[in-house]
Amino acid sequence: MYRLRVNGRDSALDVPGDTPLLWALRDDLGLTGVKYGCGVGACGACTSLVDGQAARPCVRTVEECADSDVTTIEGLGGDHPVQRAWVDLDVAQCGYCQPGQIMAAVALLAEDPDPDDAAIDRALRDNVCRCGTYPRIRAAVRRAARIARGGVA
Amino acid sequence: MIGRRGFLVGAGVGVLAVSVPLPALAAGEWEPNVLLRLDSAGGITLTLPRPETGQGVRTVAAMLAAEELAVDVADLRFVQAPGDTQRYGPQSIGGSRSVQQMTVPVRTAAATARCLLVAAAARRWGVPVETCHARDGAVHHRRHGRLRYADLVDDAAAIDPATIEVTLIPRPRWRVLGGRGGRIDARDIVTGRARYGIDVRVPDRRVAAVLRPPWIGARLDTVDDSAVTGVEAVVRLDPATGVQGGVAVIATSTAAALRGRAALRATWTGGTPNADSRAWLDQLAAAVPAPEPFAHTATYRLPLLAHAPMEPMNATAHVRPDGATLWMPTQDPGGHRDRVAAFLGVDRAAVRVEPTLSGGAFGRRFETDFVMEAVVCSRAVGKPVQVVWTRDDDTRHDSYRPMSVHRLSAEVDGSGLPVRRAHDVATWPLSIFPAMPPDLVRLIGDQFPYTVPGDVRIALLPAPLRTGFWRAVYAGQFVYAEECFLGELARRARADQVDFRLRLLGESRLRPVLAAAGERLRPRRGRVRAAACALDYGSACAIVVEADRTGTPTRVVAAVDVGTTLHPSGLRAQVEGCVLDAVSTVFGAQVTVRDGAVVESSFRDYAWARIDQAPDIEVLAVDSGAPIGGLGELAYPPAAAALATAWSMARGEPVTGMPVNRPVG
Ligand code: FES
Ligand code: FES
Repeated sequence: MYRLRVNGRDSALDVPGDTPLLWALRDDLGLTGVKYGCGVGACGACTSLVDGQAARPCVRTVEECADSDVTTIEGLGGDHPVQRAWVDLDVAQCGYCQPGQIMAAVALLAEDPDPDDAAIDRALRDNVCRCGTYPRIRAAVRRAARIARGGVA
Repeated sequence: MIGRRGFLVGAGVGVLAVSVPLPALAAGEWEPNVLLRLDSAGGITLTLPRPETGQGVRTVAAMLAAEELAVDVADLRFVQAPGDTQRYGPQSIGGSRSVQQMTVPVRTAAATARCLLVAAAARRWGVPVETCHARDGAVHHRRHGRLRYADLVDDAAAIDPATIEVTLIPRPRWRVLGGRGGRIDARDIVTGRARYGIDVRVPDRRVAAVLRPPWIGARLDTVDDSAVTGVEAVVRLDPATGVQGGVAVIATSTAAALRGRAALRATWTGGTPNADSRAWLDQLAAAVPAPEPFAHTATYRLPLLAHAPMEPMNATAHVRPDGATLWMPTQDPGGHRDRVAAFLGVDRAAVRVEPTLSGGAFGRRFETDFVMEAVVCSRAVGKPVQVVWTRDDDTRHDSYRPMSVHRLSAEVDGSGLPVRRAHDVATWPLSIFPAMPPDLVRLIGDQFPYTVPGDVRIALLPAPLRTGFWRAVYAGQFVYAEECFLGELARRARADQVDFRLRLLGESRLRPVLAAAGERLRPRRGRVRAAACALDYGSACAIVVEADRTGTPTRVVAAVDVGTTLHPSGLRAQVEGCVLDAVSTVFGAQVTVRDGAVVESSFRDYAWARIDQAPDIEVLAVDSGAPIGGLGELAYPPAAAALATAWSMARGEPVTGMPVNRPVG
């Protein structure tokens, strides 16, 4: 039995310790907003926050994450500046990569509240969007930064 | 103005046919047709006839209905139609046809409801229909005030639609169509609530992971599952059932199924363990039809491409003795329903297909292999089974875009413009039509819009692996080669790429489109400017690319004429997506085969573009007012050709294939 704090709630996971955190979140805790894209850390679809840092639950085991604080897309609240910016700019096409893109952007803005395009490209470089929404993602990260600063009504 | 029901049905608008049996309605509910339900509490529910795969088709349906009902998109509730083409008309999403085919039926369905509501109000008030109008979910009259739709539902339901005249809202009065509307599922997507096929959770769900052939065409010989623990069943998948073959491990969770699969030991026979995609390319090159070429020639070698939708293949099936229910991302809900029914030997009415959201498709989700796997597994264990493909499975067991070799040649005039052309191609058919005639390939692929007479000759060799529809089927290869060659002729003539093409376009619908893009992206010092066009799917598109000295694209301007732009944000998104597909495939992504197997296994080696490779993209809508055309695939072939041509101009070397910057195959 492993204990984690997930989206502010204490959760107990009765799974083998080597279970990838991704499948525990999706299958055992029902957090299907965390997306499976590759399972080998190569696409970013599963990006979530582990102890405040952007992480890839598909390459972390439940055992490694015991006692950590995990935030998934479901834990963002719905009105986060990044989520608002994403809706405002109609970023998503299929949308499947977007929870991971959004969580990566949240982690970026926590470190750098006013990233330029080069910083955005660096932070999101390993989040694949097969549909090609990159130009809108870039614009939405900038907009989210403005929303967070109170610069957008 | 459009006519009465008889005319509408005659025009193929099956959705309005009243002979379709409607479900029993509660008191206070009204279904003017199979797409709409209004109730006396004010609820309006639109049944979305076609599935969403990221192309925005559900949003367009919502906008069409909201416009004609004189309400906002936010006033509608949505239900996804199950696979049932007898009831809903064509539902497949492919060939860039969805919006084209859906516009008249959805608008007409909603307009009929509005006109019936207006007629009901006019009768209630005893005034002529022309003096009433619908706005914001109510019918208004100058003297009598307003009646909400909710209060008119019962009266409207009693009117025979054949007795009223149905009119569409004319374009100058559109409030919703052509406006800023965003995707209807945008909030669900950003909160993680959006449900894709892989997110289906039904009671008693089991998950299957499949051990797949280690080389192309390998057949399972022996399987040893003695080391497999913690799973519910191990099922052999027989290719005769429409699957690719392999061994399914069924467990109560994805992690357990994957662990079980890793513990399987299997041996395989047959197939082509020595297959190599470089040899395939050489075979194709040798098979290119070889008549007398003209003076100027060039040859282009094109690779295998995988679809690699972000959501890997998956399907959930629950097969019961009397039928089946399936939940999955699908591009062909009706076709999948029919094929499952045929396989199970039951009436199609016994099979229910519930399309989920789809994390991309690009042609892959027309296929049936992943669906049949779920059906076979569920039948074996008598429970709902969700088959989940890993990324590795998805990349290595796709139905790939066929390789091709193109030899282009032209006779040119004194200013370097082509006056005769020849295009000789060797490629493979698609696996679903192994006997595909070359003429059909030419019909789909050869979209040459310029006033240059010439011949296209095609040789088809048997495909050595599964091939399938890939965004811009065959046009992705043919238009790329044709436009790269035109770019090469312009380069040899030291002509501007935009002007060169304008001189060859005649009266084409492309002329204003290319001119608009060229005007927007003028040549600049220190940069090269390339262009390419497409006239396909009933639409026109021109792409102009600017690149720096290394050939890296810095700016892309696309101009498109789809007739009338219904959903501007969606139109731009589809073009942006095509441009990024082009960046990806021109600058690196390809599938290669060595020692019988696909080498690439994830986005780590299938080098899809990343955010730092995305150029600035501007999309101009140049509406000609022509009948609504298709868009989803339109911009990919010209975008790829313009990017490759810009690369070639910047570096002073010709394009020889795709990708441009590494060996093909
Ligand atoms: S699923 Fe975790 S990085 Fe791809
Ligand atoms: S929106 Fe489809 S993968 Fe990013």
